Amino acid sequence: MTYVSHLGLQLVSFFDELGRTVLFLKDILKLGIKLDVSRKSVFEQIWRVTVQSLPTTALAGFFVGAIMAVQFTLQVKEFGALGFLGGLATSGTFREVGPLLIAFMLSGKVGAFTAAELGTMQVTEQIDAIRCLGANPMKEIILPRFIGIVIASFFLLAFGLMLSVGGGVLVGIVFSNISPEEYVRHIPTVVTFPSIAGGLYKCFVFATLLATICTYKGYTTRGGAKGVGRSVVSTSVATMVGIVIADWLTSLTAEAVLMFFIRG
Amino acid sequence: MIEFQNVKKSFGDREILKGISFFVSKGEILFILGTSGTGKSVTLKNIVGLLKPSSGNIVVDGEDITQFSEDQLFAIRKKCGMVFQHPALFDSLSVFENVAFGLKRHESLSENEIRDRVHESLELVNISGIDDKLPSEISYGMQKRVSLARTIALRPAVLLFDEPTTGLDPITTNSVNQLIQDLSRKLKTTSLVVSHDMHCALKIADRIIVLDKGQIVDEGSVDEILESQSELVRDFLLEARAGGES
Ligand SMILES: Nc1ncnc2c1ncn2[C@@H]1O[C@H](COP(=O)(O)OP(=O)(O)O)[C@@H](O)[C@H]1O
Ligand SMILES: [Mg+2]
Repeated sequence: MTYVSHLGLQLVSFFDELGRTVLFLKDILKLGIKLDVSRKSVFEQIWRVTVQSLPTTALAGFFVGAIMAVQFTLQVKEFGALGFLGGLATSGTFREVGPLLIAFMLSGKVGAFTAAELGTMQVTEQIDAIRCLGANPMKEIILPRFIGIVIASFFLLAFGLMLSVGGGVLVGIVFSNISPEEYVRHIPTVVTFPSIAGGLYKCFVFATLLATICTYKGYTTRGGAKGVGRSVVSTSVATMVGIVIADWLTSLTAEAVLMFFIRG
Repeated sequence: MIEFQNVKKSFGDREILKGISFFVSKGEILFILGTSGTGKSVTLKNIVGLLKPSSGNIVVDGEDITQFSEDQLFAIRKKCGMVFQHPALFDSLSVFENVAFGLKRHESLSENEIRDRVHESLELVNISGIDDKLPSEISYGMQKRVSLARTIALRPAVLLFDEPTTGLDPITTNSVNQLIQDLSRKLKTTSLVVSHDMHCALKIADRIIVLDKGQIVDEGSVDEILESQSELVRDFLLEARAGGES
C-alpha cells in the first residue's frame, strides 16, 4: 500500500513537472513571438552550441550511418539486393535512428552544459541580480539560449544525417564491396521527399524538446552546488526519455500526415 | 521607509517566515541577525519582489508593494538596491559592464555619464583601474566590492545587504563594515543588513532585530541587545566576544 501511494505521489510530481515545463515553454514562446530579442546574443549562442558540438555530432552521424549500412548489408545480401543497400540504409537512418542517436549525443553535450550554466547563474543569485537591475532574465538569458539551441541543434542534427551517408559509403567500400556510385545510386529511389521531411521534422521536434528541458531545468535550479548537479542529471534523464517518446509520437504523426495527404 | 506587517512566507508546506512585523526608519542602519536557514535572505527578497509573501503586507516608502506586478516593481528595485550574498557578477561581462548593467536599464544617461557614474561608484568602494578585468580574474573580496558598486551605481535610497561579510577575512570584513557606514553617510542611504555576524552588528548597527526560525525573538538598540536575556542572543554575544578577541 505504501509502495503504491509512493508510486502515486511520484506520478503526480511527474505530471506536475511536465505541466510546469509546458507553461515555461508557453512563456518563452509568448516572448519569442514578439521577436524582441538581441540578435547578437542569439548568434553568440548559435556559435557556442555549434562549436561545442560539431565534432561530436559529426562523429555520431558518421557512425550511425556506418552501423546501419553494416546491418542492412547482412539483411539484403541474401536476397542479392546489395544495389539497394545505400537507399535502404540511408532511409532507415534518416527516418529513425539517425535523429534519435544524434539527439542523444546533443542532450549529453548541449543539454548538460546549458543546465549547469543556468543552474549556476540561479544559485549564485545572478538571475536575481538581473531582475533587480531592471532586466527580464527570461528575455535576456533564456530566450537567446532557447532560440540558439533550437536553431543550432536543428542544423547539427541535419548535418549529422548528411554525414551518415558518408559513413554508409565507407562501409559499402570496405565491408560490402560496392562502389560509392553504386551505394548512392538508389538513394533517391528509396529516400523520397517524405522521408527527408520526416527526418527533418524529427530533428526540429528533438531540438525544441532539448532546448525547452535544459533551459527549464537550469532556470528552476535550487539548492547550491548540489542543486546544480541534480539539474544536470535530471536534464539528461528527462531529455533522453522525452526524445524516445517524441520519436514514437513524431513517427506516428508523420505517418498519419502521409496517409492523409499522399495516399488519400 | 520599509514596513513589514505580519508577513508570512511558505514554500510548499514549509513555513519559513511565521508572521514578522518590523519597520526600517529613514537613514538608519538596521541589522537582522539570525543563524543560517532562518529566512534572512527570504525576508530581503520579499522587499524587492523577488519573492512574494504568502500573507501579510510590505510597505516601501508609503506604497504597499505586496501585489505589485513585475513592471511596478521596476521602480521599487531602483529605490531599494540589493547587495547579494554571492557577488552575483555576470561572468561574461567585464567589471565596467557589470557596474553599467543596471544604469543602462534604469536610467537614460549618455555614454559619458554612464562612464562617470561607473567610476564614481567604483571609487566609493575604493576600487580603480580594473574596468576591463573579468570577474574571474579578481579576488572574492574584490568581487563583493564590485557587486556593491553595481548596486550603488543606481543611487538607491535603501541598501539591502545579504550577509555582506560572510566568507571574508577579518581585514576585508572591517573594510566592508566601514564601507556600509560611509555609504549611509555619504549617499544618505537607509541600510538593512541581514547577517549572522553579531560582531559587525555591534559595531555599526543603529538597531538590531534577532530572527529565529522565522520569528522575531528580540529587538532593540545595541545597548538593549547587550542586556538581552534571550538565550539565542546571549549565544550570539558570546560568539562575537570570542571572535572579537582572536
Ligand atoms: N525559492 C525557494 N524555494 C524553496 N525553498 C526556499 C527558497 N528560498 C529559500 N528557501 C528555503 O527557506 C529557508 C530559509 O532560507 P534563507 O532565507 O536563504 O536562509 P538564510 O537565513 O540563511 O538566508 C531555507 O530552508 C531554504 O531552503
Ligand atoms: Mg541567506
